[in-house]
Amino acid sequence: MAAPVLEIADLHIQIDDKPILDGLTLTVRGGEVHAIMGPNGTGKTSLAQTLMGHPRYAVTGGAVRLDGQDLLAMKPDQRARQGLFLAMQYPSEISGVTTANFLRAALNACRADGSNIPLKEFRDELDRVMQFLEMDPKFANRYLNEGFSGGEKKRNEILQMLMLKPRIAILDEIDSGLDIDAIKVVAKGVNSLKGPDFGALVITHYQRILDYVEPDFVHIMVDGRIVKSGRADLAEELDKKGYEWVRSELVRTGTVEES
Amino acid sequence: MNSTAAISSQTELHALIRDRFGHEPDWSLSRRLRAATNWFALDWPRLERTPLQKRRLDAIAVYDQPPADGETQFINTGGLEMHLHNNVPVVRSIPEPWIQRGVIFQSLRDALDNSLVRQYLGSLLAEDSDKIAALNAALWQNGVFLYVPPGISETVEVVIQNYATSEVQALLSRNVVVVGAQSRVAITERWFNAGAAHKMLLAANTEIIVEHGAEVQYGAIQQCEKNAEAFIHRAASVAGDARLDWHIGEFGAGLIVSSHQSHLNQAGASTKSITVFFGSGQQHQDYTGKSVHHAPHTTSDMTARGVMKGKARSIFTGVTQIDKGARGSDGRQREQTLMLTDDARADAIPSLVIDEQDVYAAHAASAGPVDRTAIFYLTSRGLTEEEATRLIVHGFLAPVIDAISQSALRDEVWQAVERKIRE
Repeated sequence: MAAPVLEIADLHIQIDDKPILDGLTLTVRGGEVHAIMGPNGTGKTSLAQTLMGHPRYAVTGGAVRLDGQDLLAMKPDQRARQGLFLAMQYPSEISGVTTANFLRAALNACRADGSNIPLKEFRDELDRVMQFLEMDPKFANRYLNEGFSGGEKKRNEILQMLMLKPRIAILDEIDSGLDIDAIKVVAKGVNSLKGPDFGALVITHYQRILDYVEPDFVHIMVDGRIVKSGRADLAEELDKKGYEWVRSELVRTGTVEES
Repeated sequence: MNSTAAISSQTELHALIRDRFGHEPDWSLSRRLRAATNWFALDWPRLERTPLQKRRLDAIAVYDQPPADGETQFINTGGLEMHLHNNVPVVRSIPEPWIQRGVIFQSLRDALDNSLVRQYLGSLLAEDSDKIAALNAALWQNGVFLYVPPGISETVEVVIQNYATSEVQALLSRNVVVVGAQSRVAITERWFNAGAAHKMLLAANTEIIVEHGAEVQYGAIQQCEKNAEAFIHRAASVAGDARLDWHIGEFGAGLIVSSHQSHLNQAGASTKSITVFFGSGQQHQDYTGKSVHHAPHTTSDMTARGVMKGKARSIFTGVTQIDKGARGSDGRQREQTLMLTDDARADAIPSLVIDEQDVYAAHAASAGPVDRTAIFYLTSRGLTEEEATRLIVHGFLAPVIDAISQSALRDEVWQAVERKIRE
């Protein structure tokens, strides 16, 4: 299969008639790691949720394609089966459904040939990935995210990503609330998928995680648009100078209006 | 007397009862005649959230005798088992060793000479509370009498299966269960019928006497078709150190008005109840669970969990009553309902009626829609919305269904849930 391509072209979205994204354009290809950074409330999470198909967001303009197919015409489950994955900032707690049973159902749903994964194969793979992510095997039999700490939930998102092996993954603030050891484990998980068949969009408020998941491109998002793009050093510059620097820079160049 | 449509007076109904039940012992016949008088005097049940006027119950030919659907076959299924078709016992099984140990398992009409039937029939459920109760008391067609003598410590497993064919207009049942001191019984009761264009009135009363130290598990699953308008009431008296567990699965019938009540009459009596219900389409379900603490150091624990979809409507009223003097008692209840559609509606109405200081009582109730964020989360991993909903319903019901200790019934409840999810 050809390397994946996620193309976001001039995307406009709204929630309850309030504009959130104002013409966002970005292309993520297999083999690339893109980071989107930006202050709170700028539309980063809305972008992630819209790409995955959350019904709360209304797309009012633009297009999104995954491998040339119209992503916006698909339901969330169809997007997942096309190889899109979103590691959520606030994963839901699902009572009564164990992580293992859920993952098996999800893997079976994503298998193209409609066959079920043999139980032993599934169990072996789950054990292997959990060990790799330094997770207590007991988590497999706990109810999905129920009573998990913030860090456990994030690790569980990465576990799901490694099991489902998506073509394009969006990681929404996967580093928030994690200590440095946990960030290293999460980064290890992301890096293990790196390759020509995998592209990632890492959404973050802080530069910290980018020390461990090295981005090929860094984009700064303000007011629902990408206002500046660059290489990894842009993240470091942003970290030193802060978002106010971007804002004043942009006001100076006339890219955004003074607030 | 074949045509019963014309009955419009007490005299005519008395004549019908004499004709149909004249061979019964005097005490039974006179009870029926008394109830027939009440039938004309009383109103339909008044239920706060279940108005019955629109259901046109008076258009149902309640006097019609169901057609016989077979003759009794005495077979040995290895356990105690009775199948009633149109209230005619068509299968009856009671292994010889149980007979020798004094277990009695008969159709109720065959057991009218037993003094226990006379003592307990109508002892826990009123026959003059409303029109349905009076109708059932006047014209009950059959049911089951089970007597387990004291001191049987291995569990007596009992299956009671009730089925009605499409011709039936009214199925009127009575059951009496007496479990002697220190004995153990597990009952599984099933209700179903063949659907029909006309409505069927189902009225069933079950009275259970649990003697000192006995342990009874009473399981029931109701999967009637939507033409059934069902009124199923169960009441138990629980003696000292005895225990009664209710496991009730309610899935069928267009209208179901159902209750179970436990009277904890002596110290050490306890009851635990689990009700699982699932409404779909236009179903209307009105349940009441009642735990009544009459004596000190009694415990009750009531759990109800339901799922509503389509335009279904449910009410669960939980009542925990602790009388004055019932010191050291512990009564708990919790009700939760999950609604899968915007048009579904569920009310959980917990109430605690406490007349004694030195007790523990607690209730919790909730009814809410399925979490859309959770559905999004699950579908984002490739599960269809249907599959995601199924997982959430499973997760919601699993803690209570898996707590049903009667394993065959537990499996049937799961199957019924699966069927309702797909419906």
